[in-house]
Amino acid sequence: MSIPPNTLNLSWTQRRKLTGLLFVLPTVAFVTVFFIIPLLMTVYMSFHDWPLFGERAFTGLKNYSELGKDRQYLKSLDFTFRYTLLVTPPIFALGFILASLVRRNLRFIGIFRTIFFLPVVIGLGVSSLLWVWMLDDRIGIFNKILLDLNLVPKAQLFLGRPNTAMNVIILSVVWKTVGFTMILLLAGLQAIPDELYESAEVDGAGYFRKLFYITLPLMRRFIALALILSVIGSVLAFDQFYIMTRGGPRNSTISIVYWIFNNSFTYFKMGYGSAMSIVLLGILVALTGAQFYVLRERE
Amino acid sequence: MNLRKVLFILSLVALVFSALPAAAQDEPIQMTMWVRAINFQTQELVDQWNANNDSQIELTIIPPGEFVTKMGAAVAAGDPPDIASIDLIYTPAFASAGQLVDITEYVRELPYADSLTPAHMNLGLYEGRNYAVPTAVDGSFIVYNIDLFEQAGLDPDNPPATWDEMLEAMRAINDLGDDIYGYWFSMNCSGCNAFTFLPFIWASGGDVLSEDYSEATIAEDPIVREALQFYNTIWEEGLVPEGASIDSGANFATAFAAGNIGMAGTGNFALSLYQNDYPDLNFGVFHIPGRDGGAASFGGGDVIAIPAGTEHVEEAWRFIEWTMSEEPQIEIYAANGQIPLRLELIDNPYFEGDDRQMIAASALAVGHTPVTPVYNDLFNDANGPWLEMLQIAILDGDIDGAIELGQERFTQIMEG
Amino acid sequence: MRSTAASAHRGLTQQQIRHWRRRALLALRYIILIVLALLFVFPIAWSFINSIKLPAEAMAVPPTYLPSQIALENYVELTTYGKIGVAQHVYNSAVVALITVAGSIVLSTLGGYGFARFNFPGKNFLFILVLSTLMIPFQSILIPLFVMIVQVDLHNTLFGLALVYITFQLPFGIFLMRNSFLAVPLEIEESALLDGCSSLSLLYRLMLRLVLPGVVTVAIYAFINSWNEFLAALIFMTDQDNFTLPVFLTTIRYGIWGEVDWGALQAGVIVSIIPSLGIFLLLQRYYMDGLMGGAVKN
Repeated sequence: MSIPPNTLNLSWTQRRKLTGLLFVLPTVAFVTVFFIIPLLMTVYMSFHDWPLFGERAFTGLKNYSELGKDRQYLKSLDFTFRYTLLVTPPIFALGFILASLVRRNLRFIGIFRTIFFLPVVIGLGVSSLLWVWMLDDRIGIFNKILLDLNLVPKAQLFLGRPNTAMNVIILSVVWKTVGFTMILLLAGLQAIPDELYESAEVDGAGYFRKLFYITLPLMRRFIALALILSVIGSVLAFDQFYIMTRGGPRNSTISIVYWIFNNSFTYFKMGYGSAMSIVLLGILVALTGAQFYVLRERE
Repeated sequence: MNLRKVLFILSLVALVFSALPAAAQDEPIQMTMWVRAINFQTQELVDQWNANNDSQIELTIIPPGEFVTKMGAAVAAGDPPDIASIDLIYTPAFASAGQLVDITEYVRELPYADSLTPAHMNLGLYEGRNYAVPTAVDGSFIVYNIDLFEQAGLDPDNPPATWDEMLEAMRAINDLGDDIYGYWFSMNCSGCNAFTFLPFIWASGGDVLSEDYSEATIAEDPIVREALQFYNTIWEEGLVPEGASIDSGANFATAFAAGNIGMAGTGNFALSLYQNDYPDLNFGVFHIPGRDGGAASFGGGDVIAIPAGTEHVEEAWRFIEWTMSEEPQIEIYAANGQIPLRLELIDNPYFEGDDRQMIAASALAVGHTPVTPVYNDLFNDANGPWLEMLQIAILDGDIDGAIELGQERFTQIMEG
Repeated sequence: MRSTAASAHRGLTQQQIRHWRRRALLALRYIILIVLALLFVFPIAWSFINSIKLPAEAMAVPPTYLPSQIALENYVELTTYGKIGVAQHVYNSAVVALITVAGSIVLSTLGGYGFARFNFPGKNFLFILVLSTLMIPFQSILIPLFVMIVQVDLHNTLFGLALVYITFQLPFGIFLMRNSFLAVPLEIEESALLDGCSSLSLLYRLMLRLVLPGVVTVAIYAFINSWNEFLAALIFMTDQDNFTLPVFLTTIRYGIWGEVDWGALQAGVIVSIIPSLGIFLLLQRYYMDGLMGGAVKN
């Protein structure tokens, strides 16, 4: 009750505002220089016929209006969202199971955490090559094991059919990324004080009651972060298709970013590629906004 | 938590390094050169040049898949290399966009200009002016496993010369065992099949593009259909391993090296690989035959050019001219098992007595390369019409559908 | 005998039953952990096994389970690939990764604190702006980005590459650090503020310790991403001496069609895993102490 003078109070708030701005200033500067400016240039390019080299010409909204006529673009959108829907649940389910299994500091638990995290430290490009090699019908270990155990009559072409290709790619991506989701969820789990569980147990709460009334609600922020990162990563998926299937079989695994990359760097239509990127950015902003809304803090 | 200190020092160090002044004026000329990953001889060329000249060249090897992207970015940013060794099929695209220095006057003064590999010179030509000269030659041909030929009762000294003879040889070899196959192709690799399948068509007198490269002739040329039929038979009869259908090039050269494949289409780059890494592999070489005989080859490889915007055109040309002179052609190219760039130098002491090299080199005489700025979109793109047509015809057996689709998509791209 | 056993069984107290049940559950947990761990480690172990085969055996059809002899040829080959060998590229990657990690930590901590604890005009807008960095395919802004980097003369420097990497770590870093600061009870800070601490020294002296797990996570994330990034590293470096490890690894191929030298690639994979693994193991100590929970309780 001893801080009454009004003027002092006001300047304190202003100082807080200024301090806050100063704290975020370096970040905003980086984002402006290395993201906003290139992004504006991309927007500018999207209104042009812009080959990688050679003459450029202003074409207005032509690149955007052509998107609707591009069969492969629509196919790629469909494929990318199907992939995202299929790959997200296993990553989360397994990520949560792993996080629960390694939560307590039991003996050797560090070794298990490390092992589950191990695939994360490999680059996605290299891990995709690793899986292509393991899935190969001639030099691949999976077929060798299956054949030696007499589980299959002849070597399987896992990447040869659209369905199996999708499944094995999902398997490889789950292996590669689930460790990271585990770590995020683990951080969330560890932020929950043990006392909450203890008192819930005293009240006779079972596993699922604890899960739904304590664990999940208190991990909301971490789940949101993991989910948003995972969904964005899936919508922007590129390396695994570029390396594992080259978009095949019969162009059935061309993701949006793959198609953007193809247009920009194979067909040299940078302007068209830029237009697709801007549309994709819009889609992702909307998607992320929706996730924020669903997982928002209810106060 | 001394992070801030660490960051400060790190940034300082990096800043100092990045701010080091550029070479002073009186120092020897420093040039940069980019090359895609394949050329075995380039490093040696640059080393020898640097040892004997004031000007120095810094060589950077760019992964081939990203070469054009990197070149485009460098050009866009106004920071291209002084010398570039480019996949020859991209030359029309670079030259037509004004990205290369016109070297017509220099080329005119070369006494041996006429004997430089024609396919490469042809691709370096744009509107009657020269923009590039050859620097690496890579023709396609077929390798065959001599041991398997003998086991199957075939005469390794008389390799197949027609499609039917090839099929018969494949069947005989296939019968040797469950794990032995007559042939290999990488049917999910578009470029591999432009390199090794197109010559089957050319050798039979057909083509997928008209003579002036203005339109697609897939639908009207009966040879295209027969060639697709030929490969479809190979697939249907199981003369290739099933995995060949999805190989995107990872096993293009090495599948044959495993020793259980009778024949495979390949190129010069693979010869040194087999000789160095698989000394036990007993193999021979023959030309890619036409339906009833004849021979053809895809004239692939690299050209060397001077990107527009460099300050060292004169010095860059001095280097290029030297690489084509006799001594490096024999002592670096031929000595490393690479084909010399001048036809009259193919008869050289290093190739004498090496039948495989002689046959591989003589493929140049029947070498052919499509000249079109949309080559990449047509043939090299993994999602382009060439590969899609091959897969539908050869793997799915729908030859009519494949030809129709191929003709339509080729035309679409060529009309822009 | 039987009657004694039965009576002994009857004699088990509630506590003993609970004790045995807990042990059985613990054993089950370890069994599940071991099975999962074997599945997870298999691809890498298999990669390692192949890296120590002779180059020709690494290509064998069908593959052999165990090497017929242990050979280091694949690793030796790595040291002579290109003109400078693998060591320089490991060094390049390490420098870029360290600058990226340091920069990401400082910026994310400052920014995360700012977004979590202060109110200022445009806060939500700026926050969303930072997050949106994640949502554009990197390939789309690559060319404009490169043009800019060239204009400030930072291309072909490890420092310039690291600056770009830092930007792309920020959305994750800011989001995570903001969450971490929000999880710290307000009272701790308020009491310190009343003691007359400045905002910066408060952050440095008190808060940083409380959010250490978040900082460690940001560090690991930044390290892994910058250590493995390929496309920007390739485009921004014009000089082979400056290539990072992933760019170097793609040159482990025979030819223009994408043939892979599997043995050497496996050796490269193992080499590229070791430092990331080391960092993770090193930082895991902080992580495992459960500092977050501990700090909140204190």
